[in-house]
Formats: sequence, structure tokens, C-alpha cells
Amino acid sequence: MLMCRDLARIGSDYIDGKLRPAETISVRMHLMMCKDCRSFIGNLRESVRLIQSHSDYRMDEDYATRIDGAINDALTRQRGK
Amino acid sequence: METVTEQSVEERDLVAALQAGNQKAYQQAVRKYSPGMLAVARYYLDYASAEDVVQDTWVNVVEAIRKFEGRSGLKTWLHRIVANRCKNRLRTANREISSEFGEELEPGIADRFQTGGRWATPPKLRFEEHAESLMENGALSDCLDKHLSALPEQQRSAVMLYEAHQHKAEDVCNILDISASNLRVLVHRARQKIYLMVETFQESGEC
Repeated sequence: MLMCRDLARIGSDYIDGKLRPAETISVRMHLMMCKDCRSFIGNLRESVRLIQSHSDYRMDEDYATRIDGAINDALTRQRGK
Repeated sequence: METVTEQSVEERDLVAALQAGNQKAYQQAVRKYSPGMLAVARYYLDYASAEDVVQDTWVNVVEAIRKFEGRSGLKTWLHRIVANRCKNRLRTANREISSEFGEELEPGIADRFQTGGRWATPPKLRFEEHAESLMENGALSDCLDKHLSALPEQQRSAVMLYEAHQHKAEDVCNILDISASNLRVLVHRARQKIYLMVETFQESGEC
């Protein structure tokens, strides 16, 4: 039988729809009976939403300008060919 | 005829402008795509080297974009170039990438079960009841920023490419040179860390 700890191990697979059909059924049966695991899965889903909504590395404008300069040099060389 | 699979009209216009050598288009592309490229490079290299590789990649793109055929999306194409350049650099320096995969559960979660496998310390709160306010909470957003920055680089890169940049699992594995099962563990561990962070934040208001 699927225990809470097993469910925590495969929580991401369940959320991402990567479990085999039989495993998905076991997880759903467990979730029907276990309020704590329903909370766990719900909270894990929200954590994913938070990560997805988060911006990544912020682009430092000085760094971006340095890249612009390097690209402009390369474009000039290319046109000179 | 060339097959275009993943390109949007907007992206096709951008590619055409880049191929024409339009400086403004490059400026726009640098700001849009570099954060993801840095996420890839940081998987392999320290921050300064990662910045170097991303800059070198852009210079290289000026020539290479002429041969870009749109078989993959521009983002995936750029990420692959960055990954290859990083791998070459590591090969030159004769360095190996250390891999620490394995355990699926974060210690902070693993410790919360009884011997039999039931919860000993179950989740106390339901985040989703507070979802909207969570998203709008500036302090939480700062805390998330801090915790994502503190993730081990492999977890961070994997989770960023998979979640924030919405790459397919197959592409992430390809770019980071990891197996599907390794990606699975990296992403699940990172999610659990963020889970624990939100829980602490909700309980105590502290990051």
C-alpha cells in the first residue's frame, strides 16, 4: 500500500502527470483518504506556481550594455568582410 | 521546404531582424534571452566565467544566426550553444562536473514521517487558500528570490529551465547533459525546498 512518505517521494511526478496509470490510481485513492497528503500535494503545486511566476537571473544593465558593445563590434567586422 | 516547428510569428520577425544585422533587435534579444542563457552557463561554470560564455555566445550568434533554420525555437538553440561552449571550456580545463543526485526527499521533508511512513509532522497549512495574496506579497517574493539563489546550481538551473523557461524535459536533459531520472530528482528537490520556504514564511512571517 502507498504510504504518505511514498507519496511525498513521487509528488512531482503526480503533479507533472508522469506516473503510470496504475500508480496514478493508487495516488488518487490515497489522496481521497488522507487530508495531510492532499495538503502536501496542494502546497507542492502552489510552490511550482510560485517558481514559474518568478523571474530568473536579473539582467544587469551594465552587463547587457557590454554585450551590446561586443555585438556591435562583431556586426561592424561582418559588414567589413 | 524547411520545417518550422516551434517558432512564433514574433520570434520569426526577431530572427529575420537578427539575420539582417539589426542592432536594436540584438539589444532586445540580449535582454530577453540572456537570463536563461546564464541559468544554463551557471550549471557548468562559476558566475564570472558564465558571464564570459554568454557574451562570447552572442558574438558568435552574429555569424551563426545566418544558418539558423528554425528547427528548434530560438531560445532552445541559444541554450544549446551556451551548453556546448561551457562543455568545451570544461574539457579544455580538464574539469569534470560533479553530480550529486539520488535522494528524492529533502531532509526537511524526509524527517517528518514516522517509521511506518505516515506523517509525523503533517503539512499545517494549505497554501492555495492564500494563493493570490501569496503571489502579491513582496516580502515573500524577496524570500523566494533569496531561496532560489541559494539552491545548489544544478537544482537551480534545472528548475529554472524546466519551470520558469518552460523547456520540455527532453530539452533540459539535452542542454544540461543529464538523464531524465536525474532531472526528475533535481526538480523535485528544488520544489520541496521552496515548499519548506513558503511553509516557514507562512507560519512565522520570516524568511
